[in-house]
Amino acid sequence: MRACRVIPSGIYGHQGPAEGCYVPIEAFPLYSQKAEGTYLWDLDGNKFIDYMCAYGPNILGYHDPDVDAAAAKQRAISDCTTLPNTKMIDFAELLVETVACADWAFFAKNGNDVTTLAIMAARAHTHRKKIVFFKGYYHGVSPWTQKIDYAGVIEEDVMHNIYVEWNNFTQLEEVFEKYKGEIAAVIGQPYMHGNFMDNILPAEGFWQFVRKKCTEEGTVLVVDDVRAGFRLDLAGSDHYFGFEADMICFCKALANGYNVSALCGKEFMKNAISSMSYTGSYWMSAVPFAAGIACIEKMKKLDLPKILIEKGTKLKNGLEEAAKEFSFDLHVTGVPSLFYLRIADDPSLKLHQEWIAECVKRGVFFTNHHNHFINYALSDEDIAETVEIAREAFSVVRDRHPL
Amino acid sequence: MRDERVLAYCNLFAVLGSIPKLLELDENARKLVQNKKLSIGFSVKDGPCGTLAFDDGRVEMREGTKGCSIKLYFSSCTKFNGMIDGTATPMPVSGFHHLGFLLGAFTKLTDILSSYLRPTPEKLEDKDFFEKSTVLMLNVIGNAVVQIGNNDKVGMFSASNIVDGDILFGIGDDIAIGIRAKDHVLSIMKEAPEVSFSEMRFASLTVARDLFDGKINAVAAVGEGKVRICGMISQIDNINRILDRVSLYLA
Repeated sequence: MRACRVIPSGIYGHQGPAEGCYVPIEAFPLYSQKAEGTYLWDLDGNKFIDYMCAYGPNILGYHDPDVDAAAAKQRAISDCTTLPNTKMIDFAELLVETVACADWAFFAKNGNDVTTLAIMAARAHTHRKKIVFFKGYYHGVSPWTQKIDYAGVIEEDVMHNIYVEWNNFTQLEEVFEKYKGEIAAVIGQPYMHGNFMDNILPAEGFWQFVRKKCTEEGTVLVVDDVRAGFRLDLAGSDHYFGFEADMICFCKALANGYNVSALCGKEFMKNAISSMSYTGSYWMSAVPFAAGIACIEKMKKLDLPKILIEKGTKLKNGLEEAAKEFSFDLHVTGVPSLFYLRIADDPSLKLHQEWIAECVKRGVFFTNHHNHFINYALSDEDIAETVEIAREAFSVVRDRHPL
Repeated sequence: MRDERVLAYCNLFAVLGSIPKLLELDENARKLVQNKKLSIGFSVKDGPCGTLAFDDGRVEMREGTKGCSIKLYFSSCTKFNGMIDGTATPMPVSGFHHLGFLLGAFTKLTDILSSYLRPTPEKLEDKDFFEKSTVLMLNVIGNAVVQIGNNDKVGMFSASNIVDGDILFGIGDDIAIGIRAKDHVLSIMKEAPEVSFSEMRFASLTVARDLFDGKINAVAAVGEGKVRICGMISQIDNINRILDRVSLYLA
């Protein structure tokens, strides 16, 4: 209530109770007191195993000592200054070395900053207007990323947006035919991790088909790796699925929670980026760069995506087994380091919402609408505890809804 | 931007379409049409056509004007909307001998309807009136959502993203209406669904009223626990986007 008096809706956006789908609201903590490793604590001191990881940024664990030490060291030197620190060059060089399609890197603060830059750059490069999206997408909050019926968005903001179904080869082909010579970019997340539905991996050859069409038609292919980045493949999720994007967007896991995002791309797009007027007050701050360098170096040393996928698989197996014990059809979809949960027995999701609420009440922070995130600090004991809590929650829900 | 055609659909099927509910709620309204068996057809060029059929204190709104006792023809949606606003007079094209009903009982009925839908603050202090007015507004808004979702360009986009299933809007545990989504076309249900695909429930009549009057916001109200949502939230999300447009047409 204190928050509601001074902040619109108390907590706005995806971390708020409405967009965050807190059903019922009493089951969910709203604000946190502190966080460490894979845990967060609510204002009453209740501890949660956090599977949302700040919706992605926490990839190594909250307060990772190596990342925090690098950030602290840089803070003592300089951060937001008139002339940028050379940490910016170091970070760009590291990304070029790490990310398969990267010949350069441009830094900003949020995922939306770089998805917007990618679209503007594609339009600048091609002198075309239209953008192709895959239905169920999320690319940020700027008007071009939203839809005609969103508050504050006008028709002109989205009049050049074209929507096609994920994995639909024919629709994509038709769109390229219909708008020949007009499509500036195709933008997509590496696979379909939309909300309220099982996540869908790319069909065999789909991305390769998209790549081929873009190359043939002179359209820029943008991969929005803000959500999945570094949880599938350190070289980029396009690399994981065997194709190469023209530009790729990173944020979330890039610096383990320090505020930086990056757009990386191929050499031929560099001039378009250089020609644009696009910057921000804090975009060249050095502390997040130092954190990002430490984060990427640690992830490389650990071969982190492999570890996260293993942890995710262990959890997936445990949850599926627990569900089966109580005759629930639990779907665990997507790549295991980025898993999505849905009890499929009730398509309205009410049963699923009950189960998630029971898990949250017992100290496992899941959401009922969004994919989850695995982080390095999640231990085998945490996974075992999660499965145990999930089992208890299944038991409670089954008692309420006997077979 | 407001579309006169969509407004005409809202005026016919949501505003006049709430007369059946009015008769359920208000005894004086019911008395006005007791022993009356006749129907008024509204035919709007390039717009909606519907008939209010009265039958001894009960009434139903149906699509089309076939077999109506009095037929009112409007040469445009703007003219029809003018009649609802009170700035234009309807011209019957048939059923002249029922003109007395039109100018008498029916006019009184619409006056009662207006008093509930555009109440004075003083009237709202009466608990019984407040409840009836809020229930009637829920009914009007539900019907308006259906019309906007099926006819308004932006509303249709929202409807195109609604998966099939019944959506329940309720106030407390006792008052509810249902909207059915089927193949991205919306319809109002005769009874609230017993099993819904998604639900949006206002904690009290006051919360519902405040939301209808724009005093509180639905997203903020969810955070405060004044509005509860569950089930396929994407349905609620898209219906809310249509709901946002209701004030564009019916404010």
